[in-house]
Formats: sequence, structure tokens, C-alpha cells
Amino acid sequence: MDTREWALLAFTILGQTAAGLMIVLMIVRTYIAAKAGNDLADRLTNRPLYIVVPVMAVAFIASLFHLGSPLHIVRAVPNIGSSWLSREVVFAVIFMVFAALYTFLQWRKVGSLGLRIAIGWITVLLAAAYIYAMGMVYMITTQPAWNTIATPINFVIGSLLLGTLGMAAGLIAGGHKAEETNIVHTVLQALAIAAIVLLGIEFIVLPIFMAYLATQGGAALQSLNMMVGSYGVAFFFRLLLLFVGAGVLAAYLYRNASIAEKEKTLASLAYSAFALALVSEVLGRFIFYASHYRIGI
Amino acid sequence: MAKQLAFYVDLNKCSGCKACQIACKDKSNLPVGVRWRRVFQYEGGEWINQNGQMIPSNVYAYSVSSACMHCAKPICMEVCPTSAISKRDDGIVLINADICIGCRYCSWACPYGAPQFNEELNVMTKCDMCHDLVDKGERPACVESCPYRAMDFGPLNELQAKYGTFADPAPLPDSNITEPAVVYKPNKVTKSSGNANGRLMNLEEL
Ligand code: SF4
Ligand code: SF4
Repeated sequence: MDTREWALLAFTILGQTAAGLMIVLMIVRTYIAAKAGNDLADRLTNRPLYIVVPVMAVAFIASLFHLGSPLHIVRAVPNIGSSWLSREVVFAVIFMVFAALYTFLQWRKVGSLGLRIAIGWITVLLAAAYIYAMGMVYMITTQPAWNTIATPINFVIGSLLLGTLGMAAGLIAGGHKAEETNIVHTVLQALAIAAIVLLGIEFIVLPIFMAYLATQGGAALQSLNMMVGSYGVAFFFRLLLLFVGAGVLAAYLYRNASIAEKEKTLASLAYSAFALALVSEVLGRFIFYASHYRIGI
Repeated sequence: MAKQLAFYVDLNKCSGCKACQIACKDKSNLPVGVRWRRVFQYEGGEWINQNGQMIPSNVYAYSVSSACMHCAKPICMEVCPTSAISKRDDGIVLINADICIGCRYCSWACPYGAPQFNEELNVMTKCDMCHDLVDKGERPACVESCPYRAMDFGPLNELQAKYGTFADPAPLPDSNITEPAVVYKPNKVTKSSGNANGRLMNLEEL
């Protein structure tokens, strides 16, 4: 891996975090609005919202370091007709524009509630399209270790996991009044369960994917050997951190959220769960880029 | 069928001398490490044990000269996020250096390893079939340079009429993936794509 590949890694992980957070945030917002009204929903979800656009902006800056000639972008016409990479970039840009718009409307309380909610959900759809395109980029017929359904699934799960735990951390970091503790804790519990479910799906998909690679032989098998061989240690830590972050810590988060006045503990749990999931995703993406073998010469 | 220019290599005549590779580097002024045309030395087979004596059995070795295949289904062009890669009316696939952003996506996709990054220009480059010479009615530098006259060049249908349609010598990938515009004439030991018991012998040169 050289600088260019690290740049790509940063672009995908940060993009996933921003898009995943946006999706989870709107779901949480809808829930709180239904239970406790729109004012509280806005107040509790605005803090995490403010980091979506900056994270996306950093992702874009990182992506430029991947390109040999970033300045040529001004002359390049996107090839959205056939290139998933082109679609990824186009969706990323539109997602960021809408996220910025939604953030602005929420921040200044501009526009009617209905309009703001509509823009929010449009942004969610764009985030989903962006994540899907991001995964499809690697569905190249000549890259057998990437060209499986496991790739888009992994990108989706990874995004939702980062979004879920990021939302938990953002929610608790935003602070809340004593009378809001109940609803915040209920949301934290739901997020913890979501993280555990996502972890479960990941742990089902992964062995199936690895077994599939093993049966394919050739370049696919070479990739598998690389994953568990040269990158075996990284692979082990990726799974371990994921298990501890999205499993063990999420379970503790769930338990502690049922007890009042545990805000400090909850904060530490949410932060560390997110941090571990993030490191795990970085390791996973590192292995993903480092262990692909192309068919041919 | 639209016109499609193509390369031809006779594997009976090719000695693996790499004159084509060098002629290419010279003509297109390629920096160290960038090889638009490459010659793969491919070997395989095993020895058999007969009464305690090892005797060579089906051992084989041959060379395959290959470059960009200017494919009918150019996967490079399909995946390129910009409009940098295009296919001319005569079938030549070109990368426009003014548009390429250097994302390297095409090099992930092309099964012939044809797109290669030029660190000096910071863009992706590949065999352009010497289109400047072709436009003047001449032939690509590699074809002209071969001391064994193993190479030929022309419209794919003409080459196929003259030499057959074989396009799958190992270690090259299955020609169904991108439908390369190329014809190889196999020699008597040439294996087909997907052959499992051979290996590349000149990896450090590729
Ligand atoms: S050989 Fe590779 S670079 Fe050349 S046209 Fe085919 S897919 Fe594109
Ligand atoms: S490196 Fe250049 S030619 Fe290749 S896919 Fe990227 S923009 Fe297109």
C-alpha cells in the first residue's frame, strides 16, 4: 500500500461514515419526533448532523491524493453510462450537496418542517445510492475476490455499522437535559441492538464468502490465501475489534442504558465502540485492497 | 462488422527475443518500468520417474508477445470514470492524457495488464497501436521490428482469414472476457488460457 491507496482507503471509510450516519440519523430523528415531538428530535439530532458534511469534505480531499492528475477533473466528463466509479463520485457529490443543504436548513431553522424532513430523506436516499455505488465499483469481472455479492453487502453493513455507532456517540456527546434521559437511553438501546444485528450479518456473510473463494481456485484462491496468510494478523484483529466494538461494548451499552445517571459510562462505551468499529473497518479495507488478484497477466 | 485493426503473432516463429518490446519503448519513448508490449515466457510440464531415472516428459516452453488488444469489449473503457478512454472507428483504443485523472481503475480491470501508469506524466498510458504511423499508412513499430517476421498487423477479419481465430494462448486470459482484437498462431506446445500447470518464467522482466 502506498499513499495513493491510503487515500482511497480514507475516502471510502470517511464516505461510508458520513453516509451511514446520515441514514441512521434520519431514522432516529423520525423515532424521536414520533415519541417526543419535532423540537426535541431536531435538537438531539442536529449535533451529530453537523459532522456529516465536514467528514465528507475530508473524504473528498483524501480522494484527490489517490489521483495521479487531479487537475484533469475539470476536463473530464463523467462516464456514468457504464462506470460505477463515475456513479460513485457523482452520487458522493450530490449527497454532499444535499447534506449541506439539509444541515443549513436545520441549523438556521429555515423552511417549513415538512420541507426540511423531505430534504433530509432525499439526502438519505442519495446516501444509500452512494454507498451502493461505492460497493459496485469493485464488482469487476476480472477481480474474482471483489466480484461477489459480498462486496456490496460489506460496504452497506460497514456504513450502517459506522453510522449506528457514530450516531450513538454523537447522541451522547451532544448532551441532554435530565427529562430527556429516557428517550436518549431508549434510542441508545435500539442503536446497540442494531449494531449487534449488523455484526451478526457480517459474521454470517464472511465465512460464506471465504468458502466461496476457496472453491473458485485461481486468482480467487490466491486472494484468500493472502487474506488469511500474509494479512492473517490484520484479519484476526479486524474480526476481534469488530466483535468487541459492535458486540461486547454494544451489549454493555444496551445494559447501561437501562440504568439512569450512567451518562459518563455510556459516553465512554459509545465512543470506544465507535472507535473500535472504525479501526476494524480500516483494517478490513486495508486487507481488501491489499489482497486482490486480477485475472490475466 | 465495423473495422477493427488487430495484431497477429506466430508463436512458431517467436523466439522470445523481445525486439518488439524494445522497439515499442523506443518508438513511444517509454520511461523505465513502463512496457506497453511485453513478452511472456511461459513454461510447464513435469519430469517422470522411470526405474529411478528422471526423464523429461511433457516439458514445454514458449513466449507470448502481448500488448493492449484494442478489444471489442474494452473493459478499461467501460470502467473508466471519465471520458479519457475511447475507441476509434478503426478499433484502436486510446487513452487521452489530457483527460485521464490517473485513478488507475482501468489497470485494475484490464486482464492484459495493458494500462500502465506513467509516473513522469502522472497519467495512465498504454499501447496506442502507433496510430500516428497507422494514420500514415505504416505499420506499428513492434510489427516492423520483429527479426523473425513473427508479427503482422491489419484488419482483424483479414488476419483471421489468413491465420485463424486463436486468441487464447496461456498465460493470457480467456478471450471471452474482453474479446481482444488479436490472432495467435499456436505452436505444437501452446497451451490454452486457464492452463494450470505452467508458470511465468520472466516475472522480473514484466
Ligand atoms: S487490452 Fe485492456 S487496455 Fe487494451 S482495450 Fe482491452 S481491456 Fe482495454
Ligand atoms: S487511470 Fe485514467 S484512463 Fe484509467 S480509468 Fe482512471 S481516468 Fe480512466
